[in-house]
Amino acid sequence: MSGYRFDRLKVLVVDDNAHMRKLVTTIMQAFCVLHIFEADCGQKAWTSLRETNPDVLVLDWVMEGMSGIELVQKIRTDPQTPNPFVPVIMLTGHTHIDQVRQARDAGANECIAKPVSVKTMMSRLVSVIEHPRPFVRTSVYFGPCRRRRGVDEYRGPERRAESKQQAAE
Amino acid sequence: MARQQPIELFMPPNMLKAKVGGGLGGVDMAAMKRAEGALETLKSEFADWITDDVKVLMAARARYAQTPDAASRGALMRAAHDIKGQAATFNFPLIARVAGSLSRLIGELPDSQTVSLNLVDGHVNAIQVIHRQGIQDTNDKMAQTLCAELDARVEETLKSKK
Repeated sequence: MSGYRFDRLKVLVVDDNAHMRKLVTTIMQAFCVLHIFEADCGQKAWTSLRETNPDVLVLDWVMEGMSGIELVQKIRTDPQTPNPFVPVIMLTGHTHIDQVRQARDAGANECIAKPVSVKTMMSRLVSVIEHPRPFVRTSVYFGPCRRRRGVDEYRGPERRAESKQQAAE
Repeated sequence: MARQQPIELFMPPNMLKAKVGGGLGGVDMAAMKRAEGALETLKSEFADWITDDVKVLMAARARYAQTPDAASRGALMRAAHDIKGQAATFNFPLIARVAGSLSRLIGELPDSQTVSLNLVDGHVNAIQVIHRQGIQDTNDKMAQTLCAELDARVEETLKSKK
Protein backbone atom coordinates (compact mmCIF):
# COMPACT_ATOMS: atom_id res chain seq x y z
CA MET A 1 0.00 0.00 0.00
CA SER A 2 1.34 3.41 -0.97
CA GLY A 3 1.24 6.36 1.39
CA TYR A 4 0.14 8.62 -1.47
CA ARG A 5 -3.50 9.64 -1.76
CA PHE A 6 -3.56 9.95 -5.54
CA ASP A 7 -7.34 9.94 -5.32
CA ARG A 8 -7.06 13.52 -4.09
CA LEU A 9 -5.07 14.63 -7.14
CA LYS A 10 -6.46 16.65 -10.01
CA VAL A 11 -4.56 15.97 -13.23
CA LEU A 12 -4.95 17.78 -16.54
CA VAL A 13 -3.86 15.75 -19.58
CA VAL A 14 -3.14 17.84 -22.66
CA ASP A 15 -2.53 16.17 -26.01
CA ASP A 16 -4.03 16.75 -29.44
CA ASN A 17 -3.94 13.02 -30.09
CA ALA A 18 -6.95 11.29 -28.53
CA HIS A 19 -5.13 7.96 -28.31
CA MET A 20 -2.27 9.42 -26.31
CA ARG A 21 -4.75 11.11 -23.97
CA LYS A 22 -6.47 7.79 -23.45
CA LEU A 23 -3.13 6.13 -22.74
CA VAL A 24 -2.13 8.66 -20.09
CA THR A 25 -5.64 8.75 -18.61
CA THR A 26 -5.71 4.95 -18.34
CA ILE A 27 -2.42 4.93 -16.45
CA MET A 28 -3.61 7.72 -14.14
CA GLN A 29 -6.89 5.91 -13.42
CA ALA A 30 -4.95 2.77 -12.54
CA PHE A 31 -2.96 4.91 -10.10
CA CYS A 32 -6.35 5.80 -8.52
CA VAL A 33 -6.36 9.40 -9.76
CA LEU A 34 -10.07 10.22 -9.76
CA HIS A 35 -10.12 13.75 -11.11
CA ILE A 36 -8.71 13.72 -14.62
CA PHE A 37 -9.43 16.53 -17.07
CA GLU A 38 -8.53 16.44 -20.72
CA ALA A 39 -7.76 19.09 -23.32
CA ASP A 40 -6.92 18.56 -26.98
CA CYS A 41 -5.10 21.84 -27.55
CA GLY A 42 -3.14 24.50 -25.70
CA GLN A 43 -5.95 27.02 -25.77
CA LYS A 44 -8.49 24.62 -24.23
CA ALA A 45 -5.87 23.58 -21.68
CA TRP A 46 -5.45 27.22 -20.68
CA THR A 47 -9.21 27.53 -20.17
CA SER A 48 -9.37 24.24 -18.27
CA LEU A 49 -6.44 25.29 -16.11
CA ARG A 50 -8.34 28.35 -15.00
CA GLU A 51 -11.58 26.41 -14.43
CA THR A 52 -10.26 23.28 -12.73
CA ASN A 53 -7.01 24.41 -11.11
CA PRO A 54 -5.25 21.04 -11.51
CA ASP A 55 -2.44 19.85 -9.24
CA VAL A 56 -0.35 18.40 -12.07
CA LEU A 57 -0.26 18.81 -15.84
CA VAL A 58 0.79 16.06 -18.23
CA LEU A 59 1.46 17.88 -21.44
CA ASP A 60 2.44 16.91 -24.97
CA TRP A 61 5.11 18.99 -26.67
CA VAL A 62 4.00 18.79 -30.29
CA MET A 63 0.49 20.17 -30.77
CA GLU A 64 -1.25 22.22 -33.40
CA GLY A 65 -1.59 25.89 -32.51
CA MET A 66 -0.10 26.54 -29.08
CA SER A 67 2.65 23.98 -28.50
CA GLY A 68 3.39 22.40 -25.14
CA ILE A 69 6.45 24.61 -24.80
CA GLU A 70 4.40 27.76 -25.42
CA LEU A 71 1.76 26.65 -22.94
CA VAL A 72 4.32 26.06 -20.17
CA GLN A 73 5.80 29.50 -20.78
CA LYS A 74 2.32 31.01 -20.58
CA ILE A 75 1.54 29.13 -17.36
CA ARG A 76 4.76 30.36 -15.76
CA THR A 77 4.67 33.98 -16.87
CA ASP A 78 1.20 35.14 -17.93
CA PRO A 79 -0.29 37.59 -15.41
CA GLN A 80 -3.62 35.74 -15.77
CA THR A 81 -2.16 32.38 -14.82
CA PRO A 82 -4.09 30.67 -12.03
CA ASN A 83 -1.01 28.88 -10.70
CA PRO A 84 2.48 29.65 -12.02
CA PHE A 85 3.97 26.89 -9.82
CA VAL A 86 1.83 24.01 -11.08
CA PRO A 87 4.08 21.01 -11.80
CA VAL A 88 4.31 20.20 -15.49
CA ILE A 89 5.37 16.81 -16.81
CA MET A 90 6.21 17.18 -20.49
CA LEU A 91 5.67 14.24 -22.83
CA THR A 92 7.94 14.22 -25.82
CA GLY A 93 8.92 12.07 -28.73
CA HIS A 94 12.13 14.10 -28.92
CA THR A 95 15.01 12.45 -27.15
CA HIS A 96 17.86 14.68 -28.20
CA ILE A 97 19.47 16.41 -25.23
CA ASP A 98 19.02 19.86 -26.80
CA GLN A 99 15.28 19.28 -27.03
CA VAL A 100 15.06 18.06 -23.43
CA ARG A 101 16.95 21.24 -22.45
CA GLN A 102 14.45 23.30 -24.42
CA ALA A 103 11.56 21.79 -22.41
CA ARG A 104 13.43 22.47 -19.19
CA ASP A 105 14.20 26.03 -20.25
CA ALA A 106 10.53 26.66 -20.96
CA GLY A 107 9.71 25.76 -17.34
CA ALA A 108 8.73 22.07 -17.41
CA ASN A 109 9.46 20.25 -14.15
CA GLU A 110 9.94 16.80 -15.63
CA CYS A 111 10.17 15.20 -19.05
CA ILE A 112 9.00 11.82 -20.26
CA ALA A 113 10.46 10.66 -23.55
CA LYS A 114 8.10 8.36 -25.43
CA PRO A 115 7.62 5.41 -25.24
CA VAL A 116 5.50 6.10 -22.20
CA SER A 117 5.86 3.45 -19.50
CA VAL A 118 4.01 2.94 -16.24
CA LYS A 119 7.26 2.97 -14.30
CA THR A 120 8.40 6.30 -15.76
CA MET A 121 5.00 7.91 -15.24
CA MET A 122 4.94 6.87 -11.57
CA SER A 123 8.54 7.96 -11.08
CA ARG A 124 7.89 11.46 -12.53
CA LEU A 125 4.71 11.82 -10.48
CA VAL A 126 6.52 10.88 -7.28
CA SER A 127 9.36 13.18 -8.27
CA VAL A 128 7.15 16.30 -8.51
CA ILE A 129 5.65 15.42 -5.11
CA GLU A 130 8.80 14.48 -3.24
CA HIS A 131 11.49 16.54 -4.95
CA PRO A 132 10.00 19.85 -6.04
CA ARG A 133 12.62 22.17 -7.45
CA PRO A 134 13.02 25.69 -6.15
CA PHE A 135 11.78 28.44 -8.43
CA VAL A 136 13.99 31.01 -10.07
CA ARG A 137 13.08 34.49 -11.23
CA THR A 138 15.53 36.31 -13.49
CA SER A 139 15.07 38.97 -16.13
CA VAL A 140 14.65 36.28 -18.79
CA TYR A 141 13.26 33.26 -16.99
CA PHE A 142 10.70 32.28 -14.41
CA GLY A 143 10.17 28.65 -13.51
CA PRO A 144 11.68 25.67 -11.73
CA CYS A 145 15.42 25.91 -11.14
CA ARG A 146 17.10 24.46 -14.20
CA ARG A 147 20.12 23.16 -12.38
CA ARG A 148 20.12 19.49 -11.66
CA ARG A 149 19.41 18.44 -8.10
CA GLY A 150 21.87 16.66 -5.86
CA VAL A 151 24.83 19.02 -5.99
CA ASP A 152 25.02 18.90 -2.20
CA GLU A 153 25.03 15.12 -2.36
CA TYR A 154 28.56 15.10 -3.78
CA ARG A 155 30.70 12.75 -1.72
CA GLY A 156 34.00 12.98 -3.55
CA PRO A 157 37.15 14.78 -2.47
CA GLU A 158 36.83 18.54 -2.00
CA ARG A 159 38.83 20.36 -4.65
CA ARG A 160 37.68 23.95 -4.33
CA ALA A 161 40.27 26.00 -2.44
CA GLU A 162 37.65 28.02 -0.58
CA SER A 163 35.86 24.93 0.70
CA LYS A 164 39.12 23.25 1.62
CA GLN A 165 39.99 26.20 3.79
CA GLN A 166 36.55 26.15 5.43
CA ALA A 167 36.89 22.45 6.09
CA ALA A 168 40.28 22.98 7.68
CA GLU A 169 38.83 25.65 9.96
CA MET B 1 30.02 47.05 -15.99
CA ALA B 2 26.23 47.16 -16.10
CA ARG B 3 24.58 45.92 -12.96
CA GLN B 4 22.82 42.60 -13.60
CA GLN B 5 19.23 41.91 -12.67
CA PRO B 6 19.18 40.08 -9.31
CA ILE B 7 18.34 36.41 -9.36
CA GLU B 8 15.58 35.44 -6.99
CA LEU B 9 15.55 31.83 -5.83
CA PHE B 10 12.77 30.58 -3.62
CA MET B 11 10.93 27.41 -2.69
CA PRO B 12 7.14 27.59 -3.10
CA PRO B 13 5.15 25.68 -0.45
CA ASN B 14 4.78 22.04 -1.43
CA MET B 15 0.99 21.98 -1.74
CA LEU B 16 1.10 18.72 -3.64
CA LYS B 17 2.80 16.87 -0.81
CA ALA B 18 0.37 18.38 1.67
CA LYS B 19 -2.51 17.15 -0.46
CA VAL B 20 -1.45 13.59 -1.29
CA GLY B 21 0.59 12.83 1.80
CA GLY B 22 3.91 11.10 2.20
CA GLY B 23 5.13 7.98 0.53
CA LEU B 24 5.84 6.08 3.71
CA GLY B 25 4.61 2.86 2.16
CA GLY B 26 6.77 3.46 -0.92
CA VAL B 27 5.40 3.05 -4.41
CA ASP B 28 2.09 1.19 -4.56
CA MET B 29 3.06 -1.97 -6.41
CA ALA B 30 -0.59 -2.96 -6.82
CA ALA B 31 -1.25 0.31 -8.66
CA MET B 32 1.77 -0.32 -10.87
CA LYS B 33 0.50 -3.80 -11.68
CA ARG B 34 -2.97 -2.47 -12.34
CA ALA B 35 -1.56 0.14 -14.73
CA GLU B 36 0.59 -2.44 -16.53
CA GLY B 37 -2.51 -4.59 -16.96
CA ALA B 38 -4.54 -1.67 -18.28
CA LEU B 39 -1.78 -0.80 -20.73
CA GLU B 40 -1.70 -4.41 -21.90
CA THR B 41 -5.45 -4.23 -22.55
CA LEU B 42 -4.98 -1.02 -24.53
CA LYS B 43 -2.51 -2.83 -26.78
CA SER B 44 -5.45 -4.68 -28.33
CA GLU B 45 -6.78 -1.29 -29.45
CA PHE B 46 -3.49 -0.30 -31.03
CA ALA B 47 -4.47 -1.88 -34.38
CA ASP B 48 -7.42 0.53 -34.61
CA TRP B 49 -5.35 3.42 -33.36
CA ILE B 50 -2.59 2.96 -35.91
CA THR B 51 -5.19 2.62 -38.68
CA ASP B 52 -6.73 5.93 -37.56
CA ASP B 53 -3.35 7.59 -37.30
CA VAL B 54 -2.24 6.39 -40.74
CA LYS B 55 -5.46 7.95 -42.08
CA VAL B 56 -4.50 11.21 -40.39
CA LEU B 57 -1.03 10.92 -41.91
CA MET B 58 -2.51 10.30 -45.37
CA ALA B 59 -4.85 13.28 -44.99
CA ALA B 60 -1.90 15.44 -43.92
CA ARG B 61 0.05 14.17 -46.94
CA ALA B 62 -2.85 15.05 -49.28
CA ARG B 63 -3.12 18.51 -47.71
CA TYR B 64 0.62 19.05 -48.09
CA ALA B 65 0.50 17.89 -51.74
CA GLN B 66 -2.24 20.43 -52.41
CA THR B 67 -0.74 23.32 -50.44
CA PRO B 68 2.85 22.83 -49.38
CA ASP B 69 2.97 25.55 -46.72
CA ALA B 70 4.15 25.72 -43.12
CA ALA B 71 0.74 24.71 -41.72
CA SER B 72 0.37 21.59 -43.86
CA ARG B 73 3.99 20.66 -43.24
CA GLY B 74 3.40 21.04 -39.50
CA ALA B 75 0.37 18.74 -39.70
CA LEU B 76 2.44 16.15 -41.56
CA MET B 77 5.15 16.40 -38.92
CA ARG B 78 2.68 16.01 -36.04
CA ALA B 79 1.04 12.97 -37.65
CA ALA B 80 4.40 11.23 -38.08
CA HIS B 81 5.45 12.23 -34.58
CA ASP B 82 2.26 10.80 -33.02
CA ILE B 83 2.73 7.47 -34.76
CA LYS B 84 6.33 7.35 -33.60
CA GLY B 85 5.38 7.84 -29.95
CA GLN B 86 2.50 5.40 -29.94
CA ALA B 87 4.26 2.66 -31.87
CA ALA B 88 7.18 2.79 -29.47
CA THR B 89 4.82 2.63 -26.49
CA PHE B 90 2.93 -0.35 -27.89
CA ASN B 91 6.04 -2.23 -28.85
CA PHE B 92 6.13 -1.76 -32.59
CA PRO B 93 9.73 -0.54 -32.75
CA LEU B 94 10.00 -0.75 -36.53
CA ILE B 95 6.92 1.39 -37.09
CA ALA B 96 8.39 3.83 -34.56
CA ARG B 97 11.64 3.81 -36.54
CA VAL B 98 9.94 4.52 -39.86
CA ALA B 99 7.74 7.25 -38.36
CA GLY B 100 10.86 8.66 -36.66
CA SER B 101 12.66 8.70 -40.00
CA LEU B 102 9.76 10.62 -41.55
CA SER B 103 9.71 13.11 -38.65
CA ARG B 104 13.44 13.58 -39.10
CA LEU B 105 13.04 14.24 -42.81
CA ILE B 106 10.33 16.86 -42.24
CA GLY B 107 11.97 18.38 -39.17
CA GLU B 108 15.53 18.65 -40.46
CA LEU B 109 14.90 19.61 -44.07
CA PRO B 110 15.25 23.39 -44.33
CA ASP B 111 11.87 25.17 -44.43
CA SER B 112 12.70 26.52 -47.87
CA GLN B 113 12.88 22.97 -49.26
CA THR B 114 9.80 20.95 -50.22
CA VAL B 115 9.43 17.51 -48.68
CA SER B 116 9.48 14.84 -51.38
CA LEU B 117 6.02 13.27 -51.62
CA ASN B 118 7.56 10.06 -52.98
CA LEU B 119 9.62 9.75 -49.88
CA VAL B 120 6.60 10.49 -47.68
CA ASP B 121 4.68 7.78 -49.54
CA GLY B 122 7.56 5.36 -49.05
CA HIS B 123 7.31 5.87 -45.30
CA VAL B 124 3.52 5.61 -45.21
CA ASN B 125 3.61 2.38 -47.23
CA ALA B 126 6.30 0.93 -44.99
CA ILE B 127 4.25 1.71 -41.87
CA GLN B 128 1.23 0.02 -43.43
CA VAL B 129 3.18 -3.08 -44.47
CA ILE B 130 4.86 -3.51 -41.09
CA HIS B 131 1.55 -3.07 -39.33
CA ARG B 132 -0.36 -5.42 -41.66
CA GLN B 133 2.26 -8.11 -41.16
CA GLY B 134 2.27 -7.47 -37.40
CA ILE B 135 6.07 -7.25 -37.37
CA GLN B 136 7.36 -6.46 -33.89
CA ASP B 137 10.68 -8.26 -34.17
CA THR B 138 13.46 -5.79 -34.92
CA ASN B 139 15.45 -8.61 -36.55
CA ASP B 140 12.87 -9.19 -39.27
CA LYS B 141 14.92 -9.15 -42.49
CA MET B 142 12.31 -7.63 -44.80
CA ALA B 143 11.41 -4.84 -42.38
CA GLN B 144 15.06 -4.16 -41.64
CA THR B 145 15.83 -3.78 -45.33
CA LEU B 146 12.87 -1.45 -45.74
CA CYS B 147 13.91 0.70 -42.77
CA ALA B 148 17.55 0.82 -43.88
CA GLU B 149 16.50 1.89 -47.37
CA LEU B 150 14.29 4.69 -46.02
CA ASP B 151 17.00 5.81 -43.59
CA ALA B 152 19.49 5.97 -46.47
CA ARG B 153 17.08 7.94 -48.69
CA VAL B 154 16.39 10.41 -45.90
CA GLU B 155 20.09 10.80 -45.16
CA GLU B 156 20.82 11.35 -48.84
CA THR B 157 18.03 13.92 -49.18
CA LEU B 158 19.11 15.84 -46.09
CA LYS B 159 22.74 15.87 -47.21
CA SER B 160 21.94 17.11 -50.69
CA LYS B 161 19.47 19.79 -49.58
CA LYS B 162 21.39 21.24 -46.63
